[in-house]
Amino acid sequence: MSVLWDGFLQGAKGVWTIAIIVIPLMIVLEIAQSNGLLHRLNRFMTKPFKILGLSEEGAFPLVVAIVFGITYGSGVILNHARTGKVTPKEARVVGTFMAVAHALIEDTIIFWVLGVPLLLLLVPRIVLAYVMAYIVHRATPEELTAGE
Amino acid sequence: MLEVNRKMIWQGARTGLQTTWELAKVVVPTAMVVAVFRASGLLDIITAFFAPYMGFFGLSGEAAVVLFSGYFINLYAAAGSIIALNLSLSEITICAVMLGFCHSLLVELPISQKAGSPMGYIFLIRLACSLAAGWLLGVVLP
Repeated sequence: MSVLWDGFLQGAKGVWTIAIIVIPLMIVLEIAQSNGLLHRLNRFMTKPFKILGLSEEGAFPLVVAIVFGITYGSGVILNHARTGKVTPKEARVVGTFMAVAHALIEDTIIFWVLGVPLLLLLVPRIVLAYVMAYIVHRATPEELTAGE
Repeated sequence: MLEVNRKMIWQGARTGLQTTWELAKVVVPTAMVVAVFRASGLLDIITAFFAPYMGFFGLSGEAAVVLFSGYFINLYAAAGSIIALNLSLSEITICAVMLGFCHSLLVELPISQKAGSPMGYIFLIRLACSLAAGWLLGVVLP
């Protein structure tokens, strides 16, 4: 029984460590989202993705995925694809990037509180996501048809 | 400039509490399961079995538990395992970087598919990044 109790205490301590960071962070993110901060910073935020052949419209779902997570990003990209704002090729490039690098705030914090250096959590993910997405951008024909 | 009101703060706090609850639901049971693994000797068996493969990434056999819980369940489960095991900081770092690339596959691969990228292809990319980064860190980190 004491084994289970020890495990419970350890787990609860870990949850507490993460909670005291996650709750204030979510408040900040909510304020950013309510103010449409991503939309307002769109031009600036989407610039780094020009190299991957992404238009401002095409890069927006990616910015959303990087900040808020893959589920949100996918929601935006589905919506954009339906309304024709994103080409199938762009969707593939964005899909590749966001599969490798997404939820960079939440995912990073989980391990950061356990003592892992911030730079090691962020830099490899961003760099490899760029490389993979660039390869896909170069290797994919413009007229990729959906579902291929 | 930025508008801040009580509703936003409340909404943000609610999301934060929800995240914390989701976290607790996974982290606490995982830590308990790993504690039982350890006490029952099952952990030693798993460790011995995976030790040769984990050595490739500069990890001990125990770290296999962290990697599998991250790959198949999610990062919270991986954090729960880390909390319950006695890994060195460099091992935790290697696991964390490997899992950053590749995690929650059962949930996220279907999401990728829905967003227009085939599952098999996304799976290969994520696993390749994870293994490559793990190998590189295993070589580089002390």
